[in-house]
Amino acid sequence: MTKSFVLRSGERGHDVIYSDGSASSYVAGHPGSFIARESSFNFHQYQGGRPGFGTIRVFGDEVFNGAGCGYNMHPHHNFIICAFVLEGELTHINTAGRGMVDQLRQGDYYVFSAGSGGKHCELSISPENMNAIYLWLMPGQLYLPPSYHRAHFDIRTRRNRIVQLVGDADGALPVAQDLRVSRLVTDRAGRFTYTPRTPEHGVYVFVVDGGATVNEVALARRDSMGITGAGALALDVPDSSDVFFVETAMLDDARIRAWEKAHGADLID
Amino acid sequence: METPLTRWLCLGCGFSYDEALGLPEHGLPPGTRWTDVPDDWVCPDCGTPKSQFEMVEMGYADGGADLARIA
Repeated sequence: MTKSFVLRSGERGHDVIYSDGSASSYVAGHPGSFIARESSFNFHQYQGGRPGFGTIRVFGDEVFNGAGCGYNMHPHHNFIICAFVLEGELTHINTAGRGMVDQLRQGDYYVFSAGSGGKHCELSISPENMNAIYLWLMPGQLYLPPSYHRAHFDIRTRRNRIVQLVGDADGALPVAQDLRVSRLVTDRAGRFTYTPRTPEHGVYVFVVDGGATVNEVALARRDSMGITGAGALALDVPDSSDVFFVETAMLDDARIRAWEKAHGADLID
Repeated sequence: METPLTRWLCLGCGFSYDEALGLPEHGLPPGTRWTDVPDDWVCPDCGTPKSQFEMVEMGYADGGADLARIA
């Protein structure tokens, strides 16, 4: 049985966190810098939405505004954190292995598995705004050895096909979870098919730019939907579009089940 | 039969609480049930409230439980 939900752009959780005042130790940057965060799922103060989808706990569309803006060094365990840079430049510092400082630009992305413990820092050093998608995933096991991998998705040469960025495909970044992240960037109209490895896997589809009609549901910029029980997803893309797919094993999770029970209308059969 | 011991994950940072291990340095001896952790307890790493922890059914990676014991 196919089940799905649709989350429109404006229905996402909205947070603005300033670099001065109460969050000044958490948020870096000159006074007046701020992070604008649109959350597809519950995160920090935003607890009004769906608690997650499969192994996904955070899907954040974040903009770091102002020179030096970002998150200061802070600790994590266990979560697998991925960032996909859409615009601007992200300086990422982490303590995995021997530790590292990395700079990521448009098309660059990383997978940081915090595992048994690690810290990271996310900064936009220049005055140019930085926009990235942040994805947090439940790991397959607790206390894995921390790891960091990064790669580049070339928007110019990899158009008009669905490319796997994270998962088990050739060249995709490895992840210690039953999960795949793929991306479709188009410059012409077309029809595409996304096939999850089994119908039991859920697929979260997020339209970064442009639009897409997914199994007859029209999604505009920053709209998204989650689908389970589908053998394949049929996508009609009008012209220039940018679409992310996060395919995940579905966990039987008490928090998500309780939320769905209380919001029955959001889970469409 | 006694309920199996559970594990909980902080949704703010991923810190894990394991009933079997407790957090002796934070006054929670091994075997402390999640229901017996005070309601006003917060994540020692990031301050996230107890209500925003999620129960997880996950094993430890090789050697992970020993690292968790000293986390």
